[in-house]
Amino acid sequence: MANQTLETLHGVLYGNGLRIGTLSGSARTFAMLLGRRSDVIPFMGPQIHDHAMTVAGVPAYKYYFDAELLVDVQIAVERWYGFDTYTIIPDAYNFEVEALGAKMIYSDFAMPTVDRNQPLIQGPDDLARLRPLDPSKGRIPMGVEAARLISERASGPFAMGFFCSPFSFLIQASDYTTVIRALKKDKAFAQDLFDFAENQAIFPYLQAQAEAGVKQSAGADAWAAFPHLTPDLAQEWVIPSAERLAARAKKELGLTAMAGLAACDYCEENPEKFDKDLMYRCWDIGRQTFMIDVAVSAMGRTQDWTMQWLQDYAKEHGRFGRKLPVFASLNARFMRDSSPQTIVEKIREWIDVLGRDGRVLFFIGNVPADTPPINVHTAVHAVHTLGRYPIADDLSSVEIDPPDFKPFDDWLVHQPEAETIYEGREPGPRPKVFSA
Amino acid sequence: MHEERFSAISAAVTTGEEEDALHLVTAALEDGLPPLAILEEGLVKGILTAGELWDKNEYFLPDVVLAASAFKRAMPVLEASLKEAGTERHTETCVIGVVQGDMHDLGKNLVCDMLSSVGFDIIDLGINVPPETFVEAIEEHQPAILGLGCYMTTTMMRIGQLLQDLDRRGLRDQVKIMVGGVPTSQAFADEVGADAWGKDGMDAVRKARALIGG
Repeated sequence: MANQTLETLHGVLYGNGLRIGTLSGSARTFAMLLGRRSDVIPFMGPQIHDHAMTVAGVPAYKYYFDAELLVDVQIAVERWYGFDTYTIIPDAYNFEVEALGAKMIYSDFAMPTVDRNQPLIQGPDDLARLRPLDPSKGRIPMGVEAARLISERASGPFAMGFFCSPFSFLIQASDYTTVIRALKKDKAFAQDLFDFAENQAIFPYLQAQAEAGVKQSAGADAWAAFPHLTPDLAQEWVIPSAERLAARAKKELGLTAMAGLAACDYCEENPEKFDKDLMYRCWDIGRQTFMIDVAVSAMGRTQDWTMQWLQDYAKEHGRFGRKLPVFASLNARFMRDSSPQTIVEKIREWIDVLGRDGRVLFFIGNVPADTPPINVHTAVHAVHTLGRYPIADDLSSVEIDPPDFKPFDDWLVHQPEAETIYEGREPGPRPKVFSA
Repeated sequence: MHEERFSAISAAVTTGEEEDALHLVTAALEDGLPPLAILEEGLVKGILTAGELWDKNEYFLPDVVLAASAFKRAMPVLEASLKEAGTERHTETCVIGVVQGDMHDLGKNLVCDMLSSVGFDIIDLGINVPPETFVEAIEEHQPAILGLGCYMTTTMMRIGQLLQDLDRRGLRDQVKIMVGGVPTSQAFADEVGADAWGKDGMDAVRKARALIGG
């Protein structure tokens, strides 16, 4: 692994005008986040666990239970695509609830998933009955090992451990209607729910990660995205909860915990309902969940957004004459369903709006399992070509040739992850939980 | 006079006040108000108002889910009276379920509640439904619509296989098929040969009505 400190420093210096040397992907990303611009627009590694499993051809019953296999598959697939940073994450929403005893459904082809017919928490009595999370239970040891491996083998600003944020944990442990009813109509119970989530379920998992040497951990919170949760409810519940958890983790563990990631991510599906004021409020919430002040799009139907709104927001809320860094996310279904040419045209359009003044990073809001790999290769190639600084005055004149890439198996042969992946493809016994 | 009672029931549903909805419906029945009017002018109006507010960006998912929950809380007591009065509403049957390997049920439950509110007879197969259970349900219930939900990109791939299976068994043309769930799209619906894609609960109601010519 490269020296992260030097890469960060290189990126910061380059981004602020000292444009010497060849940037690594990680340094390129830091140049955009902490400076004005890098050499090309970076393409960050997206959440990709299902897709990586599919590309690598390993079965779910091994992949989601073996930290080494999970991490190596994602590192290999992300490197094959040429992303500038790694984002390595398993089914992060399941670990705590599984260890607390939730009934799970396991399958050969998909990640473990909570059996919603039998929620752990249906009311206050269940909350009183539940014991704190035991980090030796369920897949917590595997999660801790995966977090340790990610911190050790990956690089870049997003190489960190993972956990399920309190609000999403509560949906997993209970159900959406029960939790929402508590938030809106029974605040005492809602406070008890969050207290349990933060201190009895998630903190012990963070403690186990810290003891394994993990310094940073990210808490996904997709259930808190808009319109599942409104900006008002997120501000009232999710943000204070994230702050409490982060403060306790920092104070007692020395670990940086970012909870609430994806809170109020604007995921309205109907373009006719897109609302600039609501988007602004959602972006206000999202900014409170990141370590760095950023304007984020993630899982929403971004292909139909007016991207000028995001650019305007980033400019209006920037400081010292710089706009906020913008995360420009290509929608998962758009990436799966579109032709390579359509993807290129969307990227061309976005770079024209968002990229000319720098401070923009591309990624994909989760890569669906069966996304054609050529679509992802095309996206990375197009961003790195169209996004080379200085950006061409007339982007429509820049031709994008089809990406040049080897099939995954041909590429894999001499990669350090090859043996792990070959072994992972071999049939093996199902984990014991399959027959429990 | 009755209009005020119906309005109160409607408002209880729209604002997601479950116990209020139940008590108001129970009291209305005890006072002899016609069950069908309580349903149409009270409960259904309340849930449709929530849908309209959703469409106008004035309501969001928490509001709609609580409205549906209030509707569901009051409905059983009313259903018994509707049966007694011989005034059951029935348009068409919809069999619905989340495909095998997938346990996410929020969207499916919301669609069930919304379709039920506009008169569909819902056969809810639940979550993690094996293909053969869908087949058996089609054969047994002869539904107008089969609703298939999936919420993971891996389980999504099972829908195409299920539709091919229905085709092989000669069942595909007997039923209209709607798909929905986070990873789905119109392009996906077209790809697997579904008749409609519901982008959310309210859209599912519109599409379901359109499929049966309503």
